[in-house]
Amino acid sequence: MDSILSTSLAQLAFPEAVPTITLAHYLFVSAAMFVMGLIGFMTRKNMIIMFLCTELMFQGAGLALIAFGRHHLGADGQTFVIFVLCVAAAEAAMALALVVLLFRHRESLSSQSWKELNG
Amino acid sequence: MINTTLLSSMLALAPDAHAGGAHAPATSEVASGPSWILLIVALPMVTTILCGIYAMIGNKSKLPAWTTVVGAGIAFLCTVAMYLSFDGTPYTVHAFDWIQVHFSSEGGDKSMIANFSFYIDTLTIYWMLFVTGLATLIALYASEYMSHDIGTSYCRFFGAFGLFVFSMACLVMGDNLLMLYLGWEGVGLCSYLLIGYFYKKPEAVAAAKKAFIVNRIGDLGLALGVYLTFVHFGSLEYAVLFNDPTLLGYVESAKVGDFSAIPAMAQWIPLLFMIGAFGKSAQFPLYVWLPDAMEGPTPVSALIHAATMVTAGVYLIARTYPMFLASEHALPIVAWIGTITALLAATIGMAQFDIKRIMAYSTVSQLGYMFAGLGVLTPTGGAYHVLTHAFFKALLFLCCGAVMHGFAGQLDLRKLSGLRQVKGWGIVSLGMFIGCINLAGVPFTAGYFSKDTILAEAFVTPGYAMIGWILLITAGLTAYYTFRVFFRVFMGPVEYHPGDELHDHDHDDHGEANHHDAGQHGDHHADHFHPHAPGWAINTVLVVLTVCSIFASGLYIVGGNKDAHTKHYADTMVSASTASYHSNYGSHAFEYYEKDPEHYPVPGIGPRGTIEQPLEMPLVGGDPHKMMYYISGVIGVIGIALAWFLHLFGRTNAAECKMDPIARMFGPIPKLAENKWYVDEIYWAILVTPLRIGSHILHWIDKLFVDGIVNVFGFLPRLLAWILRPSQSGVLQGYAVSMAGGIALLLLTVFVIILQGGAS
Amino acid sequence: MGDLYRRVLYLPRGINHRPGPHLRETTTRNNAVDSIINPIVLYLICATGAIGIAAALPRRNKVAAITGGIVLAAAVGFAILILGLNTTESGQPLPNYFFYPFAILGLGSAARMITHPRPVYSALYFILTIIASCGMYLLLSAEFMAFALVIIYAGAILITYLFVIMLATQAPSSAAEEFIDETDAVAREPVISCGIGFVLLAILTTAMFRGLGDLPAPPDQTLAQDSVLVNLPSKVERVLDRADILATGERLARNDDGTAAIDVATRTITIENTDLGTTRTIEADQWPEQLTAGNLDRLGYNLMHDHPMTIEIAGVILLMAMLGATVLARKHIELEDDLKAAQSRKLGENMKMGDA
Repeated sequence: MDSILSTSLAQLAFPEAVPTITLAHYLFVSAAMFVMGLIGFMTRKNMIIMFLCTELMFQGAGLALIAFGRHHLGADGQTFVIFVLCVAAAEAAMALALVVLLFRHRESLSSQSWKELNG
Repeated sequence: MINTTLLSSMLALAPDAHAGGAHAPATSEVASGPSWILLIVALPMVTTILCGIYAMIGNKSKLPAWTTVVGAGIAFLCTVAMYLSFDGTPYTVHAFDWIQVHFSSEGGDKSMIANFSFYIDTLTIYWMLFVTGLATLIALYASEYMSHDIGTSYCRFFGAFGLFVFSMACLVMGDNLLMLYLGWEGVGLCSYLLIGYFYKKPEAVAAAKKAFIVNRIGDLGLALGVYLTFVHFGSLEYAVLFNDPTLLGYVESAKVGDFSAIPAMAQWIPLLFMIGAFGKSAQFPLYVWLPDAMEGPTPVSALIHAATMVTAGVYLIARTYPMFLASEHALPIVAWIGTITALLAATIGMAQFDIKRIMAYSTVSQLGYMFAGLGVLTPTGGAYHVLTHAFFKALLFLCCGAVMHGFAGQLDLRKLSGLRQVKGWGIVSLGMFIGCINLAGVPFTAGYFSKDTILAEAFVTPGYAMIGWILLITAGLTAYYTFRVFFRVFMGPVEYHPGDELHDHDHDDHGEANHHDAGQHGDHHADHFHPHAPGWAINTVLVVLTVCSIFASGLYIVGGNKDAHTKHYADTMVSASTASYHSNYGSHAFEYYEKDPEHYPVPGIGPRGTIEQPLEMPLVGGDPHKMMYYISGVIGVIGIALAWFLHLFGRTNAAECKMDPIARMFGPIPKLAENKWYVDEIYWAILVTPLRIGSHILHWIDKLFVDGIVNVFGFLPRLLAWILRPSQSGVLQGYAVSMAGGIALLLLTVFVIILQGGAS
Repeated sequence: MGDLYRRVLYLPRGINHRPGPHLRETTTRNNAVDSIINPIVLYLICATGAIGIAAALPRRNKVAAITGGIVLAAAVGFAILILGLNTTESGQPLPNYFFYPFAILGLGSAARMITHPRPVYSALYFILTIIASCGMYLLLSAEFMAFALVIIYAGAILITYLFVIMLATQAPSSAAEEFIDETDAVAREPVISCGIGFVLLAILTTAMFRGLGDLPAPPDQTLAQDSVLVNLPSKVERVLDRADILATGERLARNDDGTAAIDVATRTITIENTDLGTTRTIEADQWPEQLTAGNLDRLGYNLMHDHPMTIEIAGVILLMAMLGATVLARKHIELEDDLKAAQSRKLGENMKMGDA
């Protein structure tokens, strides 16, 4: 037990023995980012925050794309991040216009005030 | 040698023997007739449509009545023209194709053809003459009789009236059994509509429903009969059906009493037709609707429930007479049912006090005579009685209607007396008298001749002597109750009490024109009551019918055809049609024997059994018809005399007479008869109550069990929805959660499978 | 105890054996997730994170939220610790060290973004997340995208969000300055959502780690980049010209198929003199320093050469988004009827004047 801790600290202390960061690390971070965005989208009632959360999901996807591009030593990953940015920008414009429109109707940003499909 | 004589004589007397004569039987290649004959059917329908239009535009005049009179009148003139232009060969008139079904079956291609076309032969003409004639007269009568209902109800009455004439024309003139069925249901519907004309009166509504439902039973029989006819003979068209070799073969073998070769299905057809005829013509088990049908307006009672519609059963049997001949049991049953009905209705009629009801029971009774006539192998007698009865019974009803109309609905013979002497009631009294002597069978009246034809045939047709005796007694009873009415109401001291109706059913519709009448009747009740004498329309119709009733007796003398071996007009007309039947052993045979002994058949096998000694008369000796004239004449006169003695002689007021103490001597019997032998109550107890109990049981089974199962299946989706509905929150994020959860579940499943499979 | 610990954490051989860099090439990590982290530990971390986020999401109970935040931080830290513990060594300290601050910063600010009750703070935390991801982009040698992300996202999109937040939120009265709207203060269905989210995370990590090895070395000036240069002859000519290598009348020679005469394998460039008709080659040691294809070159080449249609589509999408946003957000002005009539009259007069 102590050997593990000591070896880790030793790795941190000595730069020549630092652990390699693998693709899996980045993918884990991107997946965690994406899932947090998803959770935020599902839980937050404020429509602006919901759309922010979709942007967070875009970020997760973008990080994964960049990491994969790096893994394959190609530029396609970055190219697709550009397109993701495009779509995110378009989505942001539309979403914010929609939010403004909906806010005018209900004087509220709550997604709970729109439930015409209630069964 | 003897055998050949027998054969030839039988052939000579059989209907087919006339094949080469003046009345050629219809062949399948029937000629087509002139299309103006369609007017007879079309005009009543046109009047119905016009009456509907009048009702829609709110007509408040007698226009519907005049339209109907003119329509029916032209139809009658067309019928007369059809009669005059008839050359003895039946023909059909095609209106349009109605039902034409072609199909393949085991026996090859078949087709069911029932066109909207009309078959004209002597029987049709004979029937249509009095149907359209009486319809015209009674429409004229009703124009005045119904005048206090002018407005929508007036249009309704004449609309149904025209529809009835249309339906009756379809029934009588149709060239196939489906057309007959169409007309049959049509007249049933019109009967229902017109009985329930005063639909605000509960009794009228109940009577209408009763008539309709009781007729349903008969209609089922008719429908099944039509069905079996098609199944067995393969056709419904008269022209084909009555020339069908199979049917002709059955009739030939039936004429010598051999029923063994006739299949049971063919023997069942007339039994089913018979049930239909019993319903429509109010015969014994199903007669109960007709007396109640008197709740309708009197012209309706006269036209539909006395003269025309109720003879539809007689027409059906006469039209399909070959089929009835081919059945071993149908005609005897018809004869016995008719006889029983005649006697039963006569006994009930004797004890009634409502004159319209008495007439209703006498109608039932006379219809029983007609059926007995058909049953004892004299369709001629039955048809002749139909004609004479149509005239005198319509006359009697219209007279009763005039009384009812004039005395504010009063129909109790204990409250009316001596109307003969009241001013303005002479024509009514005369018409009533003529009708009564016809009904009672006073010698040399039309009713006397027609009834005696039936009675004589009953005595001479082997096996039916008992029927003859019963009918003879019934004739005496008929004479008694008929003149009971006449002596009580029209003779004796003058006394009358108005009825309690006082036109209460039409107060709503009273126009200004009738206000005077209403005030006169309503405000001064019994004390200052003035009878409302019939107007010109009623009197004209009564006069015409009186004349017709008188001259109907002449038809017994004229119109015979020696070539066809027919004796009088009705005989000629009926014998030339499908209803033709001349008994080898009946009165005709006697006549032929008198004329030419060679033609008289020797004893042998007849359709109803073996005749040992045909020349030995069942009656006192001699021609049974001649003997019957004397006997029934005497019986009729005895009945009238009894009625005179008990109901007129020494009577000082309307309510009491010599009959009352005598009736008391009989104990409960008159009371039973007055209550119609409790037949309605018995029906109620043995038919309606069990049906109701069964219906209730089935109702609860249906409600609890069947509905329960269905409801459970209906409830399950609702239960499922109730479980699933909360998931449909309508909020965007709810669906996002479902989507993400679904993807998570899906991926989880996939990875569990991959990890399990990939590990190995 | 040690065995159990190793079994639970699934510690790889790296801890015990400390294999040298030579081992990295020989060991192919067919099942990387197993070698980096024990699945059970990973799922435990996921579950802890889920519990933490579920508790930390906005709610009335501040104690629970704070507790959740602590649990969440512990989970993230534990995950990073395990990830850091169980990896092999390499000789590149900088990217490997900087990954952890950026990852912690990115995930932490993302968690704070979705848990903060106030929208403005959420947006600001999101900017922090973006900056952290920019750092990771840099670590992944995507310099252009890193700066583009900062400019476009943090600079443009997020500012628009902030504007809309300010526009669409009603100004609280002074009395209720500290009051947070129910919409923002209470999350809906936090437990179910977090459960679903982290089940998804567990599956994603399980899936992504399968069969993946270490990142290759960052691209140096090697064949891959030189092959890009073959496709950029004008750039090569320009660089050579600026380095005064090209004399007057000299230009880049062409092969028979029309491509530039750059030999990637031997790193030689053939130059021909159009005036004299002679050719000469420039060896690798004569290449100027600027003659490299950088990240931007490669990205631009890839974008314009491989995805031209996608650019068109992206343009259409942006145009449509602009039109859509304009139509949607337009405020309908309800004019009075007489006002409308007056306006139309005025318009008519103008037209008449125009005709005249």
